[in-house]
Parts: sequence; C-alpha cells; structure tokens
Amino acid sequence: MLQFDQVELPAAAEALRAQVREFLREQAAQLPRPNSDFGSGHDPEFSARVGAKGWIGMTWPKEYGGGERSFFERYVVTEELLAAGAPVGAHWIADRQSGALILRYGTEAQKQQYVPPITRGESFFSIGMSEPNSGSDLASVRTTAQRTADGWLVNGTKLWSTDAHRNHHMIALVRTEPLGDNRHAGLSQLVIDLRNDGAEIRPIKNISGHEDFNEVVFADVLIPEDRVVGEPGNGWQQVTSELAYERSGPERFLSAYRVFVELVRLVGDTPAPHEADAIGRIASHLMTLRRMSISVAGMLEEGKSPEVEAALVKELGNNFEKLVPEIARMAAPLAAESTDFRRAFTDTLLGSPAFTIRGGTREILRGVIARGLGLR
Amino acid sequence: MSTDTLHIDTASRIFGDHCDKALLDAAEAGEFPQALCQVLADNGFLQLAMHDSGFALADAFAVIRIAGRHALPVPLAEIMLANRWLNQTDALATVGLAAGEKITAAPWATQAKLVVGVSELGADAIVVRVGDVEQGANLAGESRDQVAATASEPLACGSDEPYELLALARTVQTAGALERVLELSLDYAGEREQFGRPISKFQAIQHNLAVLAAEVAAAVRAGDAAAAALGTPRQRVEIAAAKARVGEAAGVVAEIAHQVHGAMGFTHEHRLHHFTRRAWAWRDEFGNDVFWRRELGAHIASVGADAVWDFIATRG
Repeated sequence: MLQFDQVELPAAAEALRAQVREFLREQAAQLPRPNSDFGSGHDPEFSARVGAKGWIGMTWPKEYGGGERSFFERYVVTEELLAAGAPVGAHWIADRQSGALILRYGTEAQKQQYVPPITRGESFFSIGMSEPNSGSDLASVRTTAQRTADGWLVNGTKLWSTDAHRNHHMIALVRTEPLGDNRHAGLSQLVIDLRNDGAEIRPIKNISGHEDFNEVVFADVLIPEDRVVGEPGNGWQQVTSELAYERSGPERFLSAYRVFVELVRLVGDTPAPHEADAIGRIASHLMTLRRMSISVAGMLEEGKSPEVEAALVKELGNNFEKLVPEIARMAAPLAAESTDFRRAFTDTLLGSPAFTIRGGTREILRGVIARGLGLR
Repeated sequence: MSTDTLHIDTASRIFGDHCDKALLDAAEAGEFPQALCQVLADNGFLQLAMHDSGFALADAFAVIRIAGRHALPVPLAEIMLANRWLNQTDALATVGLAAGEKITAAPWATQAKLVVGVSELGADAIVVRVGDVEQGANLAGESRDQVAATASEPLACGSDEPYELLALARTVQTAGALERVLELSLDYAGEREQFGRPISKFQAIQHNLAVLAAEVAAAVRAGDAAAAALGTPRQRVEIAAAKARVGEAAGVVAEIAHQVHGAMGFTHEHRLHHFTRRAWAWRDEFGNDVFWRRELGAHIASVGADAVWDFIATRG
C-alpha cells in the first residue's frame, strides 16, 4: 500500500527558510508577477542571484558546485521561492532534473563541464522529450542521431520545449538505433547546445498569448561525439528516472497559489461564511498536499525512488491547482474593477490547461499509480 | 508519537480477529457487542487516552484509526475520551451532543451509566447520569441514542477541547475506513471477471482506482498531521483542515468504490457498505466539511494575505 509518512522538516531546513525569506525581501522588486507558476518567469539575473546563494543544485556534490544539503532543505527553498512568485523558470529544469541526470549518468568531463555553471545560475536547460507525434507515448520518438566519423548527426523535431528560445542547452531523447522489437531499446539522451549547434527554434504562442514553449527542428545537425549522456541505448531507463524528479515537488501544487493569496486579501479579515468556506477548502487541500510532498522529500532523502508516490502527489496537486480558480470565482466577484485578484485569476486560469499535461498527463499518472497498486 | 507501535499491532490483531460481518450486522441490529467490549477493556484499550495511561494522546488516535479500518462496532473513541475526562473506567461511559436538558447522538446510551455531552461552542461539557433513552442510529446503523438525564453537572475537561477531539476521532476513523475501502476495491477488481478478464485490467477501472487511492492517501496524511498537532497551538486549525479534507475524500472514495463493486457492493450481504456507510456518516458528525472549512477560512482571513504563507508553511 502507498504510504506517506508523517515527516517533520528538520531544524536545518527551517533555519534556511528564514534566509530565503530575507533574500526574497531584498529581491522584492523582482517579484510582482501575477502568478506562482514555476514555468512562467524567466529571469537570468534573478537565477544568478539564487545560484550565488547556493540554492541551485543544493543536494549535489560540492565537487561540482553543489551544496551537499538535504532534500528537505531543497524542498524549503523551492516552496519559499514559488510561494513568493519568484521568477525561477530560467534555472528550474536544470536544477530539478538536467543536472541530476548528468551527475547520475554523465562522464566525468560532462559533469565538470555542465554542472558547475548550472549551480551558479548561469546555464539553463530545456527538456527535449515530446515530438509532433510523440507525447505521452514517449518511446515512439522519431528524432534520430546517427553516429558518423565527425559525431552525431541529428534529424527530427522536438516540441513543447519550454524556454528553448531562451536557454542554453536541451537534453534530447533520440533514437540512436533503428526501432526493433523492444521499443524501449535504442534510445539515447544527447546534450544539445541550443545556441550554437544549428537547431532551428520557433516559439509557439499559447492561449495566454505568451511565447514560452517551442518547436525545435534538427536538419542534419552535427554534434560532437561526447554529448551523449550515459550509455548509448540506455535513454529509456534514464528518462524514466528523470521523470521521477519532475513529479513530486511543490511546483505541482503551488501554480495557483497566488489566486489563493489574492482571494484572502480581497475578502479581508471579516469574511462572509461562503468566503471563509472557499478559503478553508483551498487551505485544507493545500496543507495536506504540502505534507504529502514533504513525505516524498523524506523518501528521496532516504535514497528511495518514490516514482509512484510522486505521480500520486502530482495527480492530486494538479487537480487542486485547477480547482483553486474554480473555488475562488464562486467566492469573489470577478466583474469588479481590475484587481490583483482578477489578474492572478485570469493568468492562472489561462495557464491551467497545462497543469495536468506537462510533466506527464493526468492519464499517464493514473496509469503509474495503477501500476503501483498492482493493477497492471 | 510513541515509537513503540506494539499497541497498533495489538489493536490490528484484536480488532481483525473480532470484527467479522456477523458481529457488525448484529451490532447494527441493536445487539451490543458485550464480549468484544470486554476484550477491549481487558487489553487496556478503553483506558488508552487517560492522562496516566503512559501513552501520548496521539497513540490513542492511532488506535482509533485502526478501529475505523475494522468498523469496530464498539464506540471506542467515545469511551476512551469519556474515561479521560471523567478519569474513571468503572462504568461504561460514552459521549453525545449536549442539547438543553438532553444529550443526543450518544452511542449505546442503553449500556452506559454516564454520558458526556459536548458542544461545538467550546470547552464546556456536561456529564449526565442516564435516565430514559430513546434509541436511534446514524445512517451506518451505528447506535446514536437520545438521553434524558436524571442528574447533570458541568464537566471540566482540563485543557482539552472536547468537540475538537471528537472531530479528530471521526477524521482518523474515516481515514481508516477509507483505507479498508481501497483494499476491498482492489481485491474485488482483481477477482471480478468480465469480458474474459479481471475488471482491474480495464483502463477505466484502473484510473478510477488511482483516483480512489490518491484520495485515501490524502485522507490518511491529513489525519496523521492533525493527530501530530495535538497539544500544539496548531491543534484546532490542523483538525479543521483534516476533518474538511477527509470529509471531501469520503464522498469521492465511497462513490468510486461502489461503482467498482457494481451491484455486488450494493447488497447487504457484501461487507463494503459497513465501511462506506460509516464514512458517509462520520463526515457529518462533529462538524461537516463546511463547518470546519469556515472555521479554518475565518482563521486564515484573520491572519491576513501577507502572513498566509507563514501560516501554511509553519509545520512540516
């Protein structure tokens, strides 16, 4: 049975919380965003300041610029940055998964080349998984990398790569051997230099009118031999472990947090019963989800691989993120003049379809949970 | 919480050995499970919440959750807490709601000499000597009697907030019942075959069970967090959050479980309903979701938007 233990954050993590809040007070001018979505604020200068504090790559070895701190400390920094609406998007993917992937599977030279700049908040990564015909069915990717005397020759198209037009690198899942009977075999992960390798990057406008995600086209793009991460052909196993990092953090239930805060502000200190009900309902979910996410941080700290538990927190958390604006709109009149609440609501609602798609759709997550329950 | 989990293991074994369907049916038909009650007394469970029991109060609530898992037909939470407040175990005592001259919704008042009456309004409780009893039941068939008092006096409960503790009891009982509902649903989906294969192999069923499991996990975590906050300044708000969250989970879980079980789970012969009906009943006892959400929401509003994150992130 799935179990989420009662875990209290250790004193070291709570001590760090005060430091993060002090930092955020100093950075107040950078924080007036209308939402708390991890993916929507890309600010390299802010990321460099976070890196200078030692808050990127916190759990990684010091040898590569990491902090050798606990997953609890990383959890605290993450939730404080998100709750404050800090623009963490630039370093987010590198910190959460790309750096961890390189440290786990990369060569010594790759670790030395890529990881320290990530921890300084100077090197930003995008995800290269989805393609025009490969979304949830990730093993069906068709982008190929052919080994030549000069390196890997890459052909194909990656899609929905957030901030590929702003970031430095992408870790692309590509097919390095022809498709055989085992569709999970023959896949590899390559580091793409988005600025210098010659990939063509086209931003795609989303329903908010923003251009955050991209189509990245590879037409005979030649990249050096030493850009493959891990063993060629081992890409499926690697990408699966990468997804576990992607699914359990507080960014999976805090995307709509700003709506909650502005609802509390709008309602004031003497709420009508239906307003108190809305605030209490949101809080009851939020407090529980946060505890579950901390339980998962505890599993990571113990060296476990809580893939199923992480999927479960993401499933609950994403549904909650979508529920928040629905609860809030019933409690607060939107027709009023433009307010911070209205801005937060609008921005969050327009971003909300992505909540249950990115990082694994609701349907994929429910499949992961079902597998964990022994049903498949 | 005590690191010694012997009381949990003992409770699981004893409750599991005794709570079969026949006993549950008999209790719901009005027959007090005297023998089981004696076993609980002999094993010290009725004294577990007393101040000198040697156990933390959270340990008692951990046992109450186990009672929920087994739909224990003895009102263990009420007896434990009544004994705590009366500082006695000589006579069987339970707890109901104080309502003027009467006490309502008291389980098994026919068996009790003393009944404690609590109120949602705060710490004021009364203890009454049981006079005439009008028997009743909740929608799970659990005894909920109305009691006329032959004598009544105020009861000091120390630093306890009786209504809060009973709300927490229902919260963890419900979490326990929902855990059992998940187990039953997984078992049934694996056994029941349609179209030539177990229904657990159908994606639609798998997804419903995934949603069910996620709600159960949330309910258990919420209940544990509230129990861990006992005796801290956060006790009331944590219980409020947990009772509301578990109440919301109860509806989702019971609905899906019955859908997975089909007509079989709708029969009285199947044991599923002993757990789903209790979850449905318990979410409305000692404050329903909205009661506690308003309580929590009003508190957060008084904290204010600029301090709300500090409120949320104060405890792990």
